[in-house]
Amino acid sequence: MTLGRIGVAATLPVLIWALAGAAMPTYPPTAQSRASGVPFVREVDRGASLAGLSVFVAAGLEQQTVATSGIAALVAECLVRTPVEAAGGQREPLRDAIAALGGNVSYAVDDRTAHFYLESRPAELPALAALLAKAFAQPNFSGPILSAARATLTQRSNEGEKNPLRVGVQMFKESYLPAGSAFPDFGTSASLSQLGPQALADFFARTYRRGSISASAVGAATPGLAGALAALTQALPAGSVTAPDRPARVLPANPKRVVVRRDVQGPFVVLGFAAPAPKDADFGAMLVLETLLSSAFERTSATTLNLAEKPVGALYLYETTPASLVVYVNGSSGLDPTGGLREIGLVAKSLASKRIAPDELRKLKAQTIGAFVTGVTTLADRSYLIGLFAADGIPNGSLDRALDAIDGTTAADIERAAKRYLQKYVVAIVLPRDNPTSH
Amino acid sequence: MKRSLLGAAAAATLVVACALPSHAAAPAPPAAAPDLGPNVALGHILGGAGTTIVGHFEGAPVVAVELWYRAPSGGFGSKPRSSLARLAAQTAASSKPLVGDALGTVVQSAGGKLQISAYGDSIAISALVPSTAARAVVHAMSVAFFAPVLSEDGFRAAQRELATAAIISGFDPDAAVRDALFAALFASGPQHEAPLGSPKDVGVLSFDDVKAFATRAFRAQNATLVVNGAIDGNVLSDLAKGRPASGEDAAAESPAASSIVASPAPVHHTFEESATGYAWIGPPISDERAATAMDFVADYLFRPDSGIVARELARTDPGASANGQFITLRDPGVFFVSLSGADVTREQNVTLAALRALKTPLGAEAFARARAAFEYHLLSDVQTAGAVADNFGWYSVEGNLAYAPGANGTGGAYFKAAEALTPEFLAQTVQRFLAPEAAATATLSPPSKKPAAEGKST
Repeated sequence: MTLGRIGVAATLPVLIWALAGAAMPTYPPTAQSRASGVPFVREVDRGASLAGLSVFVAAGLEQQTVATSGIAALVAECLVRTPVEAAGGQREPLRDAIAALGGNVSYAVDDRTAHFYLESRPAELPALAALLAKAFAQPNFSGPILSAARATLTQRSNEGEKNPLRVGVQMFKESYLPAGSAFPDFGTSASLSQLGPQALADFFARTYRRGSISASAVGAATPGLAGALAALTQALPAGSVTAPDRPARVLPANPKRVVVRRDVQGPFVVLGFAAPAPKDADFGAMLVLETLLSSAFERTSATTLNLAEKPVGALYLYETTPASLVVYVNGSSGLDPTGGLREIGLVAKSLASKRIAPDELRKLKAQTIGAFVTGVTTLADRSYLIGLFAADGIPNGSLDRALDAIDGTTAADIERAAKRYLQKYVVAIVLPRDNPTSH
Repeated sequence: MKRSLLGAAAAATLVVACALPSHAAAPAPPAAAPDLGPNVALGHILGGAGTTIVGHFEGAPVVAVELWYRAPSGGFGSKPRSSLARLAAQTAASSKPLVGDALGTVVQSAGGKLQISAYGDSIAISALVPSTAARAVVHAMSVAFFAPVLSEDGFRAAQRELATAAIISGFDPDAAVRDALFAALFASGPQHEAPLGSPKDVGVLSFDDVKAFATRAFRAQNATLVVNGAIDGNVLSDLAKGRPASGEDAAAESPAASSIVASPAPVHHTFEESATGYAWIGPPISDERAATAMDFVADYLFRPDSGIVARELARTDPGASANGQFITLRDPGVFFVSLSGADVTREQNVTLAALRALKTPLGAEAFARARAAFEYHLLSDVQTAGAVADNFGWYSVEGNLAYAPGANGTGGAYFKAAEALTPEFLAQTVQRFLAPEAAATATLSPPSKKPAAEGKST
C-alpha cells in the first residue's frame, strides 16, 4: 500500500531535471580557514544585507551529568543575560547591548556544542562578536540573572512537555543516547532548581575553552570578522575539552516500548532508530529513507501539511551523537497508531529485502534534494549546518556534500542502509492523561 | 464558531462608508514603474494587465514562486461566503489539469512546499522549491491558476483539507480575536468576513460556488506572479497563456468597497481559553511615513523577545502571549493586538500603559536604539527568498509595490521612510491613531461552568 503510492507517474519537474542533464541545485561555495587557530568556515551571499556568525563551544549536552541536567542551556542563557559594557560605557545585558547595535544574539545546545548565533549588518558584526567576548570573559551566574534564566528554561521545558513529538523523541533519546546527551535540552524544572552559581561557574570553566571553539559565517561579506573571531577566542582560557567516552546503548533486537502520559490531545507514537553521521557513506541513503518514510503514508493534500496535520513523519537527527532517525505516528490525525506502527515495521522490512525500482529511486532522490534545500534557507540554519558539517570533517562544511550524497545514492545503498539501521528500534508511546492537569 | 453574534453588534453602531470604488473602476493614470532594485525585473503577463516580478536572490538554492490575486475572501457576491476564496484556490491546486499533474503533486514531487493563504481582500498561492524546479513549477502554477480546470475530485479533496484546517484554526486564540475585531471594525466589505471560517462554513460551499469564484478571480489578467530566488535563465519561458479575455475580464479586479464602523461596540465571545484584543483603524498604504511609524510601534512594543510589552509579560507571566502588528492595507490599515494568558486584565493594562507612554516622544537614545532594532528586524524578516516574495505579492495587491520592505534593499522606499522617522512623529502617530477609546475590543472567555450539584459543594 505504501510503497506503491510512491511509484506515482513521473512528474514534470523530475522530467525537466533529467532532461537538463541532472542539474542539481547548489549552494554558494564555502571556504575553510583558521582564525588564530580556530576552525572557521564561511559562505558569502552576494547582495545579502545581513551576515550571521555561529560560534560553537564544546559545552553541549554530552558534558552534563545526572546531577547537572540542563546546565548547558542554563549557562548559555545566563551568558546572553550577562551585563557587558556597551557603547557609551553603560553596562547592560549582552542581548540588549547587541540589540542596541542593530543585531541579535541567540543560542542553542546540541549534543556536542552550545552555539551562539550573532546576526546583523556586516559593518556591526565584528562589534557584536566583541560584546560576546566580554560576556565570555566575565560571565555572570549570580542572583537575579540565574533566577531569570532558570525561569525562562523552566517555561521552555514545560512547553516542551505539551509537544508530543518532543516528548516522544526525548523518551527515545533516554533509551538510546549516553548520559548527558540523553537529557532534555533545557533540563527539567526539578533539575534546573538544583543548579546554583557554583555549578554553573564550574561547568563554564571546564567547557568554555579556547582550544575547542569553531565558527561559521554566512551572508554578506564581513571585513574584519576573522580578526573579531580571533579576539573572541582570547576571552576564553587556553585548553581544550575532552568529549566523554560514553557509547550509545545497543538497540535491542526486540523493540523496547516505553509509555508516558502527558497533556496531549491524542496518542502519539515515536519509533527511534540508529542512523549514520553526515560523514558516513550511508548519509545520502538515510536522507532518502527519511523522505520515503515521511511521505509513504501521506494523505492526499495539495498543500504541505504541518506537524499537527501529518499522520506520519520522519526526522533524521544527524546533529545528535550518535545520529538517529525518528518516525512518528500522530494519533490526533485520525490514523490508528497501532496500524501505523505495524505499517512502518512492514515498510522497514520490505526496504531491507527488496530494491527500489530505478524510476522510484530517481523521484525519491529529487524529492529528498528538494526537501533538503527548502528546509535550510535562513542564515541561522545555514550557518549552523555548515559549522556542523565542517566539525564532522566534511570538506569546507559544504551543504552540497549532502546533495551529492543524495544524488549518488543507489538502490543497493538504500537496501543496505535499511538493513543496517531500520531493523532495531525503540517505541515511545505518548498517551493523553486520563485527567488532564491544569498546568 | 460564534460569528453570528458579530452582525448584531456591528449593525448597532454608526457605519461610515469608505470612499472606495465598488467595481470596474476607471483605469488609473499611468504610473512610473516602481524601482525595485537592480536584481528585480517587473513585467506583464502576455502584455496584459497581470504583473510579473522576477527577482534574483543569492543564498540557498531555492526559488519562491507565488501567485497573488486581488479577490474578496468571501467571494464577489453581495452575500459573502466565508472560506470561498481559500477553498477555490485549494481546489485549483488539487485538480489535475488536462495535461500534466496537479500543482500540489508537481510541488511535492520536487520536494517543495506549497501553501495557500487567504486574506480579506487577497489570496496567495506560494511554493518554495529547489531552484532547478522553478520553471516547471511556474508552468504548473500558471496552468492551474490562469485558466483553472477544476475537478470534482479536486474539490472534494480540497474541502476535506480545508475542514481540517478550519478545525485546527478554531483552537487559535489569535485568529479568533483577529476575526472578531475585523468583523467589528468593518461593517461590510472584504475585511469584515473571516478568510477561513468554521468547518461548517467550508461544508456548505458547493462545487458551483467554487467554479464561479475561480473563473472570475483566477485569471492571468488579475494575477501578480512573483518569482524570487536563485534563478537561472528565463524562468518564465514556460508560463501558461491563460484564457483570452474581453470586457471586464481584461482588467484586474478593482478593490472592493468597505465600510468602517466609527464606534465599534465591544465584542464578547466564548472560546476555549481567555483572550482579548484591540484593533484600531490606521493609515492607508499610500501614507508611507505613518504606516512605517505604525510598524515601528508594533515592533517596539510587541516583537517577541525584544518588545517592551512582550518582555514585560514574559517576565511576570511566562505563559502569557502578546501579538501586535500593523496590517498594511490599501485603505485603511489596521493595528491589531491580541493577548492571551492567565491574567488578560493585567496584560491589557500593560499594553495600554505602554501605548500611553508612546504618546510622549521617546528620548533620543531610546529612539536610536529602537530604530536600530527595528531596521535590523526588517532586514532579518526579508533574509529569505520566500519572505521577499511574500512582501512583493502583498504590497503589489495592496497597491504600493515600491513600498514593499525588501524592494531595492536598504535603499528602497520602506527603509527611507524608516530612516526618516522621528520621536515626535512617532508620538503624533500614536496620538492620531491609537487612542484607547477609538479601539475595537474583543474579549474571549471560556464557557461558564455549570454550578456544582447541590449537596456536593465543599
